Amino acid sequence: MKKPILLLAAILLFYSMGIAQNASIKGTITDTINKKNLTNTVISLLRSKDSILYKFTRSDAGGNFEMKNLQAGDYVLLITHQTYADYVDHLQLTNTSQNDLGKIMMTLTVNLLKEVFVKQQIGAIRLKGDTTEFKADSFKVREGASVEEMLKKLPGIQVDKDGKITAMGEKVEKVLVDGEEFFGDDPTIATRNLQADAVDKVQVYDKKSDQATFTGIDDGQKQKTINLKLKDDKKKGYFGKLDLGGGLNDRWNNSAMINRFRSKLKLSVYGIMSSTGKTGLDWDESNKFGSGTDMEFSDDGGAFFIGNNNGDDLNNSSYEGEGIPKSWSAGLNYSNKFNDGKQSLNGSYRFNKLNSEGQGNTISQSILPDTVFVNKESSNSFKSQQRHSLNGTYEWQLDSTASMKLTASGYSGIQNGFSNYTGESIDGLGNLVNQSIRNASSAGNNKNLNANLLLRKKFTKPGRTLSLNLSELYNANNSDGYLFSVIKTFDKTGITTSNDTTDQRKISNTSAGTFNSKIVYTEPLSKNFFVELNYAFRNSKSDAEKLSYDKSLAGKYDLLNDTFSNHYKFDVLTNTAGIVFKYNGKKIVYGLGTDIARSNFKQTDLLRDTVSTRNYTNFFPRVNFVYKFNPNSRLSISYNGRTNQPTIQQIQPVADNTNPLLITIGNPALKQEFIHNINFNFNSYKVFSQRGIYMYGSFSTTGNAIVTSTTVDTSNRTVYQYINANGNYSTYAGLGYSIKLKKLDANLNININYNNSRYNNIVNGIKNVTNNSAPGIGFGIGKNKEKKYDFYYYNNFNYNSSASSVNTSIKTQYWTQSHNMSLNVQLPWKFEVNNELDFNIRQKTDLFTQNNNVFLWNAYIGRKILKNDKGIIKFNAYDILDQNKGYSRDISNNVLQESNYQTIKRYFLLSFVWNFSKNAATANQ
Amino acid sequence: MKKIFVIFSPLLFVSFLNAQDIFITKGKIEFERKVNVYKEIDALADDDNDWLQSMKKSLPQYDVSYFDLYFDDDKTLYKPGREVVTAQKLPDWFQGPATDNVIYNDINAAQTISLKNVFENSFLIQDSLRKIDWRITPDTRTITGFECRKAVGRIMDSVYVIAFYTDEITVSGGPESFTGLPGMILGIAIPRINTTWFATKLELTEVKPEDIAAPKKGKKINNAQLLGQLKTSTKDWGKYGQRNIWHIMI
Repeated sequence: MKKPILLLAAILLFYSMGIAQNASIKGTITDTINKKNLTNTVISLLRSKDSILYKFTRSDAGGNFEMKNLQAGDYVLLITHQTYADYVDHLQLTNTSQNDLGKIMMTLTVNLLKEVFVKQQIGAIRLKGDTTEFKADSFKVREGASVEEMLKKLPGIQVDKDGKITAMGEKVEKVLVDGEEFFGDDPTIATRNLQADAVDKVQVYDKKSDQATFTGIDDGQKQKTINLKLKDDKKKGYFGKLDLGGGLNDRWNNSAMINRFRSKLKLSVYGIMSSTGKTGLDWDESNKFGSGTDMEFSDDGGAFFIGNNNGDDLNNSSYEGEGIPKSWSAGLNYSNKFNDGKQSLNGSYRFNKLNSEGQGNTISQSILPDTVFVNKESSNSFKSQQRHSLNGTYEWQLDSTASMKLTASGYSGIQNGFSNYTGESIDGLGNLVNQSIRNASSAGNNKNLNANLLLRKKFTKPGRTLSLNLSELYNANNSDGYLFSVIKTFDKTGITTSNDTTDQRKISNTSAGTFNSKIVYTEPLSKNFFVELNYAFRNSKSDAEKLSYDKSLAGKYDLLNDTFSNHYKFDVLTNTAGIVFKYNGKKIVYGLGTDIARSNFKQTDLLRDTVSTRNYTNFFPRVNFVYKFNPNSRLSISYNGRTNQPTIQQIQPVADNTNPLLITIGNPALKQEFIHNINFNFNSYKVFSQRGIYMYGSFSTTGNAIVTSTTVDTSNRTVYQYINANGNYSTYAGLGYSIKLKKLDANLNININYNNSRYNNIVNGIKNVTNNSAPGIGFGIGKNKEKKYDFYYYNNFNYNSSASSVNTSIKTQYWTQSHNMSLNVQLPWKFEVNNELDFNIRQKTDLFTQNNNVFLWNAYIGRKILKNDKGIIKFNAYDILDQNKGYSRDISNNVLQESNYQTIKRYFLLSFVWNFSKNAATANQ
Repeated sequence: MKKIFVIFSPLLFVSFLNAQDIFITKGKIEFERKVNVYKEIDALADDDNDWLQSMKKSLPQYDVSYFDLYFDDDKTLYKPGREVVTAQKLPDWFQGPATDNVIYNDINAAQTISLKNVFENSFLIQDSLRKIDWRITPDTRTITGFECRKAVGRIMDSVYVIAFYTDEITVSGGPESFTGLPGMILGIAIPRINTTWFATKLELTEVKPEDIAAPKKGKKINNAQLLGQLKTSTKDWGKYGQRNIWHIMI
């Protein structure tokens, strides 16, 4: 029994250090019934004004205690001992008090009777178990009164001037709305912002400690809580955004979006019409609109997003700066939850229409063993697309271990357009070798269906899971159009050697359907070690009917052209089984395994009535390794091998003369590619110094790569045929460093990157190897001050170099650089100014001699208006210097190409943006 | 009274005054630290930040870990305990800093030495014990068979801490930095950071001196200096930064 005494002495010593007062108390703790002194009893002194613990001690072996050097004041003496009732007394100490409390009697709790309170029951008040429920309407308040005013009228509830609520004598720590917190943990947000007439019932209860559902803020103990149950018709409201903009020269950008919600139901509608390139909702808007994105986590904890676009290409990204667009779109979204949120349904409908017209010029160089051709072509085009899309997601949490998710989406659309081209080619000596005109038009429709069912089940043993995924994807495209082309070729002396006219009707019907099923089972082998077994069955069927009809003498397109017509089917049946071992440790995560797949190809030529089949057996090894140095630094290395099957266009034995100067022919003997890929990644971020480093590298090589065999005749007429070749590889690597400059309070970053690739093909029967390499370096700096300004600048310098073995005398080498700067300044009187500069400088080459430098400067000045800055009036200027150009440069194998096309140039737009919201339950203030 | 503890050698450490009086002076307590991930997401997400909300679908609701608290008279050592086997791990970046603290408290000398892994740094924090003004309440709750009294304190100006302590253990210790009550703290709830620590079992085991050895390695610092550094480096992090500071500085 020495230890408690030592402890007591130590505690007394500790608490008496530095305190010079001399009040003291002492006494002896004793059991009233058993007449025995009690040791280890806690004697605490609490400040009587706020119950804050001032000092405590324990009684010694003889039940005696003493506390010295106490400050004068009013105290509560609390004496506690297990199984005995608490002893509570008031104690007033002066500086000279020397209280001897004598014998303090403790009573065993079993001897105490509990006091029972009986509440008076009024009609409007009900007691449900330990919950007191008030019917809100029974307590009259003025029109538009807040909940706080109503609470003041309820019996047993007091509200002080600060909004603090006391119910049945205890402070209310929490006010919930429909069982959920209303904007954080400040009760007054709910009581002062909600209107009394929105409330159906007021429930007052003690939140229990052992609730099955942990409610976060509630730590588990009793907590006086008020729950406001809203009337069903008041759980509604809306928010939305209106953006109206107009300018000269047929420039407009208008959008409106409204979300209504009522209880768990959410209904949203939007409409957009724009001639400035906005063709759909942006990411932020899309999230508000309720379609949103899904996030998943990989085994090692990395997060990745899965978009919900479902392959709908006629959306945000459908305008990429080519041509002058006009777009219209509208949508409707419905979401609801049922059965306590265990089931949820989300559905949407969208309509998009996009018209774009434009002119362009393309210059391309073909490098051949003995010569070089340069082709220049100018074009005029118009395209119109329309689409109706439907999306739906249904989720059902069957129980705590099983869930089901069904997603389905589809669209149906039409597309039509025409384009006219005129071009000519010259050879390396400057002689004209051909002249061409080409007019193509088509009208068609497309359909898509994508359905996916995911069932997941977890078992009681942690880590044991089973999942089944079934999916069906179907795409169909039909088009009907005309091709008219005239190609004249010339010899070296300028004499016409041929004059070919193509005048055909083109009918194309393609469809592709894929059914996929996969079952995955994981079993824990030990604490961090799992094995995953999977089996998959995949059946894909493609069908392509391409018919070309020549014009008969009667002027009708009724002569089937055999060379350019074919109907082909390509079916692939794949069975895959695999095993993967996974280790998921604190520092190390790795996976190791392989799939084995058996694929059966079946190719049917329906016009020529031939069938061929082939089988492949492949291993798909995969290894990945992650080492975590600390939560902000990790290294990962991975390898995987996979196959890539040829598309039906690559395999269909028919010539495609969409561009008669550039004919492509499918190859039914084409094998599947096998790709080996190695990746490495290193990331490190130091929070305290705000320093970041990243490094990455990737190498991939393809066996049986699908490449082209090109045949170019003396008049620069090209025929491409797909073949398999070995030796293709591509590699890229990069390094980045970022740091915070403490003195400047600015962020600085620098990065370097390097790409290198080798591409094999055949040019006029000669094996050609093209090596491309492109090193680059970039630098950026940013500085911002919240609500004052936000500035960044970054640049990129890239060097491109390309050489083809087929003609080593020609090397393509050029620099490009880009500079981006943005400055946003918040001015007094709610004004803000935003500037964005985007400079692109491209070095001219021997071939590409046009000035393609673009200095794009966009700016706006805006002023926030309305209450809470919910509105803004903006004057936008796009491309102030009227410099914008549509441009792309592409180098692949022995062909180099540069395109210029019409794009949106300078315009000014005056716009008004208004974010509005109203909650029926929120008081108007 | 049913007590959930394992008695290895009761005669050594337990003093029997009468059948009902058992006071414990040394042993080992296992604490379950539980973070309500969904509430943390709610706290981080703005009203319309749906992508953070959508994370809930992919994450478990609770992040659970275990810590052992060794105590002997006036010294305690709190350190990570057994690892939890879960199929679904919380991503590292969400787990936050300072989730594997080792904390040595000398109650009588009112000194603390703790090892906290905060981002890329391991800090050895040497300071005096945190002084908390505990408000004692009449409420009680039973934790692992011990009747615990509720006390409410406040740290870092605005973060409320709810503690449950039992006077049947005579050491005034507790998990993390929490001490100063007339007995052992067996439960802590900090609503602001949606985290609780509750004792799951008590072992009346022999406590060797090496079980209560203060951590030695790490970058030496005190709490005020650490807070200063954190404030500078998480200045631009908004809500996320503030939450991190709370998690680190408890």
